[in-house]
Amino acid sequence: MKGVILGLAAAVALVGVAPAVAHHSYAAFDRDTQVTLTGVVKELQWNNPHAWIQIVVVDDKGRRTEWGVECGSPNMMARTGWKRSTLAAGDRVVAVVNPLKDGRANGALVKITLPDGRVLGPGNAPGPRPLRSAAKSKS
Amino acid sequence: MAVRRTVRSVTLAFGALALAVSGCGPPPATSTPLSKASQLDFTGVWIAVGTFENPAGPPPWSNTLWPAEPSFTPWGEAESRRLSAIRNVVPCQPGGPIFAMWEMGLFPIEILEAPDRIVLKPENSALPRRIFIDGRGHPEDLEPSWMGHSIGSWDGDVLVVDTVGTNGKTRAMNGVGSNAGVSSEDGRPRLPVSDQLHLVERFRIVADSEILEDEMTINDPKAYTSPFTVKHYWQRRPDIDPIEYYCEESPRPDDEANLPGGARR
Repeated sequence: MKGVILGLAAAVALVGVAPAVAHHSYAAFDRDTQVTLTGVVKELQWNNPHAWIQIVVVDDKGRRTEWGVECGSPNMMARTGWKRSTLAAGDRVVAVVNPLKDGRANGALVKITLPDGRVLGPGNAPGPRPLRSAAKSKS
Repeated sequence: MAVRRTVRSVTLAFGALALAVSGCGPPPATSTPLSKASQLDFTGVWIAVGTFENPAGPPPWSNTLWPAEPSFTPWGEAESRRLSAIRNVVPCQPGGPIFAMWEMGLFPIEILEAPDRIVLKPENSALPRRIFIDGRGHPEDLEPSWMGHSIGSWDGDVLVVDTVGTNGKTRAMNGVGSNAGVSSEDGRPRLPVSDQLHLVERFRIVADSEILEDEMTINDPKAYTSPFTVKHYWQRRPDIDPIEYYCEESPRPDDEANLPGGARR
């Protein structure tokens, strides 16, 4: 399973403050660090308060690690392109996460690349749309 | 729409007549519910304009940032420190009437306007805010509650809402935790809400009926030596339907809400 790697030391990159996602604390996560997980989905737990993706990663020595990746609530995710069926067991994904500070194999999702190439976030606020009134005043 | 307005007017008139004749029902009106000058309708789904990346949202309808140096009383300062030290709030604890109007657009709010009341239902809260606009006052023997007791009246097309009777148990008005670190605003002090809150809001609909403005004047003498005012903005989003949210559905032991948290950044 050479293609499925967790080059943890190499993959950890300081990339500045990552987008934050939760409606409560993310203090347990190291938001200055991003880890790239290339692996296979074991399960998408589509539940409140937060959805989780279990991803199995095998490193170049064949060691298998199951990561828990925390997302936003299904409510938030559904408004930003997710469905319960977006991920299934066996799907190959590349997930970028902010890891737990305590070193356990958990992380807060920053973004994930799906098997079809789409990239989804953790379920952030969709943000306001351009105002119709602004569009009218421009026209 | 015209038919509905007519029905509403008839209903209001009939209701007022019935009350006058019967002498029953809610306490006598101190202002008439028929005084709404605007035909603008609060009913609908709204979502706050703020995001974690940009809590204020885009101009010109931008949220007021929370005060960085609030005028705390000694109790308020101690309570703010206590809230800041809590790494995890009870996830499903109601947020109170101010946090219900959270400026971050993660969860929409559904507003339903009836002749005698306006109900605001945040998607992420089991508890609604219920604003009586039938002219009643606050009860004298008010039982403290999470959302408090709200009465509204019309000042032209502005809905003025007066809220008292909060129970002082809610999380900070400006955020989820304490802990947060989820937005650029989270370095600011947590702002507690006591059981002495007197909240006065002026709701109005602007921007061609697309934006709801909630100007909140927060007078909480137990926590702050002087009142302060913030404005939060919501965009009408008929394309969004609220979704059920039951946050105790399936909490994991390793969900961040249940973790001890790390050092605050």
